Amino acid sequence: MPLLEVRKMTHYFGGLRAVNNYNLAVEREQVRGLIGPNGAGKTTIFNLITGVYHPTEGNILLEGEDITRLETNQIADRGLGRTFQNLRLWRYLSVLDHVKMARYSKLTYGLAGAFFGTAKRVNEEKATDALAMELLELVGIPHLADQIVTNLPYGAQRRVELARALATEPKVLFLDEPTAGMNPEELIQMMDIIRRVHREIGLAIFLIEHRMKVVMELCEIIQTLNFGEVIAEGTPEEIRNNPLVIEAYLGKEVVL
Amino acid sequence: MTTISASWPTTRQRIRAALSKLWQPYRPVPLLGWLLAALVAVGMEQLVGLPLARTLGMSKIPALFGALVVLDQPALIPSVLLFLILIYILPVGIVARFTAPFTNKIAARLVSYPLVITAVIHLLLLYAVLHIWCDISDYRVLVARMAMIAIILTLSLNVVNGYMGEFSCSHPGFMALGAYVASVFTLVFFVSENQFGEALVPPALGPFLFPLALILGGLVAAVGALLVAIPSFRTRGDYLAIISLAFMFIVKSLFENLEIVGGARGISNQPNYASLPVVFAWTVLAIWIINNFVRSTMGKALNAVRDDELAATAMTVDTRKTKMTAFLFAAFWAGVAGGLFAHVLRYINPDSFGIRKLAEVLAMVYFGGLNSVTGSIVGAVGLTMISEALRPLEIYKWIIIPIMLILIMIFRPTGLIAFTEFNVERLFLPKDKAPEGAEDATA
Amino acid sequence: MEFFLQNLINALQWGSFYALIAVGYSMVYGVLFLFNFAHGDVFMVGAYIGFFVSTFLLAADLTSALSLPPSVTLGLVLVMTLIISMFLNSFVGMLIERIGYRPLRAAPRASAAITGLMIGIILETGNLAILGPQRLAFPELIQTATINIAGVSITNKKILIVGVSILLTLALHLFVRRSKWGMAMRAMAYDYVVVPLMGISTNTIALMTFALGSALAAAAGILYGVAYPVLDPNMGILFGWKAFVAAILGGRGSILGAGLAGFLLGFIEIFVATIFPSTMRNLIAFGIILVILIFRPHGFFGEPHSAQLRL
Repeated sequence: MPLLEVRKMTHYFGGLRAVNNYNLAVEREQVRGLIGPNGAGKTTIFNLITGVYHPTEGNILLEGEDITRLETNQIADRGLGRTFQNLRLWRYLSVLDHVKMARYSKLTYGLAGAFFGTAKRVNEEKATDALAMELLELVGIPHLADQIVTNLPYGAQRRVELARALATEPKVLFLDEPTAGMNPEELIQMMDIIRRVHREIGLAIFLIEHRMKVVMELCEIIQTLNFGEVIAEGTPEEIRNNPLVIEAYLGKEVVL
Repeated sequence: MTTISASWPTTRQRIRAALSKLWQPYRPVPLLGWLLAALVAVGMEQLVGLPLARTLGMSKIPALFGALVVLDQPALIPSVLLFLILIYILPVGIVARFTAPFTNKIAARLVSYPLVITAVIHLLLLYAVLHIWCDISDYRVLVARMAMIAIILTLSLNVVNGYMGEFSCSHPGFMALGAYVASVFTLVFFVSENQFGEALVPPALGPFLFPLALILGGLVAAVGALLVAIPSFRTRGDYLAIISLAFMFIVKSLFENLEIVGGARGISNQPNYASLPVVFAWTVLAIWIINNFVRSTMGKALNAVRDDELAATAMTVDTRKTKMTAFLFAAFWAGVAGGLFAHVLRYINPDSFGIRKLAEVLAMVYFGGLNSVTGSIVGAVGLTMISEALRPLEIYKWIIIPIMLILIMIFRPTGLIAFTEFNVERLFLPKDKAPEGAEDATA
Repeated sequence: MEFFLQNLINALQWGSFYALIAVGYSMVYGVLFLFNFAHGDVFMVGAYIGFFVSTFLLAADLTSALSLPPSVTLGLVLVMTLIISMFLNSFVGMLIERIGYRPLRAAPRASAAITGLMIGIILETGNLAILGPQRLAFPELIQTATINIAGVSITNKKILIVGVSILLTLALHLFVRRSKWGMAMRAMAYDYVVVPLMGISTNTIALMTFALGSALAAAAGILYGVAYPVLDPNMGILFGWKAFVAAILGGRGSILGAGLAGFLLGFIEIFVATIFPSTMRNLIAFGIILVILIFRPHGFFGEPHSAQLRL
């Protein structure tokens, strides 16, 4: 049984079919890529799987359990963590608070703890602090813990998003263009971090990426999407040589 | 010419430098030192205040640091200033500065004790200062209690309008629910000879069961909040603003039509349970609990939901539950504040909880600063004091205060002290070898 | 039936005031996404301006100056009062926009709401300070004539009030739908950022929005003075808040919606008052509004939108 399975997912925005008959099977500790031209529906697929929208048809199963109709926060709690293509950070919270926030559903001190500062809360918050610091170290920004996110450079903000997503204890980590807008140096650092995260936590990663270098180097299996449909799926080698993929990216004439 | 003058400090910089030099000896004074100094000052006022005031040509001790006198009898301004210098500024300055080594030592020792003990010591001192200060006149007792009730109200509204970033208009409604429920409770149980018949319980028990009345008022307010929250948080947008406004009008006209609680005439003769220590204790409790809440990860989830709801849900935050909890929580405290309000004034009518009240509370929240406990305290106390001080201006007061607020909105749109965290532990630290962060907190 | 029709007429008149004020609210909310809480007091200022303009015109004694019959003069005074007051009051609105709201264009929307609240208080208190607490009697600009149709008595005042308010609402609706300026307003309602890129100044549109809204509020004030010739500084408060709720009920930025919701509010209030004691009017009216909002959260003509009254 695959860790995460998507069966025959189709989604319409009004009359527009954004995703058609999409299937996916993510195995444990697998790194997968999703590529495709702009507007192919990659982010829509992410949003559908993570519950931002509910698909018109089809099912999503996590470890055999149907999560299609669950709310986003419930899905995140079950183990699908994600980052966003355009950074979505909270303006007035510190880096540490960002990571801690992702532990929201794992906290058990309840309202009594929140109101009266019980010993349980103190201990739990302390443990969460420690965990958050560990994750910040993993992504290489422990020294920025007390900073307000808006003061950080772009690359660091991406890392905050990554650490935050990891704090939800994801079984599958969804990375939406993790290297978008980065310079070559930041790009290499980010790839290293993704490799390190994969190695140390041992989770499955599903990433959308525009830079072929990143996808080809990181992923074991790549799906190519065009107009909401998968046109090719395979190893980086297979994808690189697939004429349909080349056509989707470069147009028919060039292939001829 | 211009290049030379640019290198010289401007007047503003010079003033700032002078002030910071003047302030320099007071940097190492811990909170404990300031409280001790204030205690000495109010003690002196108690002992020699009246004779001094008479000598300076005033009939009594200036009630609110002379704020009332300034507009009423401008001729007395020099006397008031002299009084302030002799009674407050000099004693506070001297005591705070020269006891600093001593108070720092105590503060340093207190660090090793549990926070509760440190907090209780500080609070007892603070209450002593307040009590002695209020002992001078009944007017001060009233103003102090109203200011503290304003703190509870402002803080609870800040949870919704600041921390959660919604715009709620129903606070006067929650306050009314709390005020009426608590009033009826105390009148039914502890007071004889009124529209509710004889007292059901020996009146001597009243002061002890008064918290029950307040909590009941708060709970009823929270149930009322449920009526606003369920439709409002189902969809996003401005609905909370409109629905809460409608709710406020409904509550007000509901009480206008309830003859059992006096209709438009209101209820009066509530027992005098909301004394200074009672209001003080509830205010401290409210600040403590609300501050606990907003500093917890659950409380900070409000900020996350406010700043990016989608990101919050993707990080496992249950946005609906978070919003509901916070809204009901805020309503509860508004209800408690309402109950206290009713027992301080000992007279309420539906008109006490209308648009004017709403404008007042909103003004305090946005004056003090959004998303900030300190800001709410400053806003509530500041605006109460300003409002009292401008009383001699009569209706012109209601031109000056709005203009002031408009200016604040233009120059600091989120209020004076916005987006800060109220860190109690840091507040109590000794200051002689203070870390940098601690200095900021006192500056 | 006669009873019903009679109250229908009264409700139409009562709703006219709400409709005209709600339209102004709705414009500002729709175009600038702003809660202009001062608008109820702009209505009050409009009524007072109308008072002074009409008193002045009556004192100027146009009858002898233009040698017109007295009844024609009275009509002329009314029309001139309407036009001049609407013109003057539009400057009040523009002034409020310029001083209170423009510096807050980039600020959180709630700050602007507070500013509006404060401007309202300043207008009320300022009026109280300048003119004193006594109420003013609005001059009689129309001699009441009553027409009886099928047992229902209709005064000429009511016809005038309802007619003028419907006319003005429709005129504004057409202006926003058809004119170039109206198109710019609608564009701004969709996207704040894009309008300046099209070579239209955001500030001009904002000023125009406020001017139009305030002009209609002045019309409402004068019509109110014609129907109930007693003016006091606090007359705008409740009218304003209720009209605000009506504006939301109409749907964001929908002028016809706001107008209709205003009339609906009038109906609810009048019919509640005929069935229940009049003290219950606010209670039941707001209760009904609450229920409507629960089932139609976007109002009658509004489109769902996800913007929030942010910090």
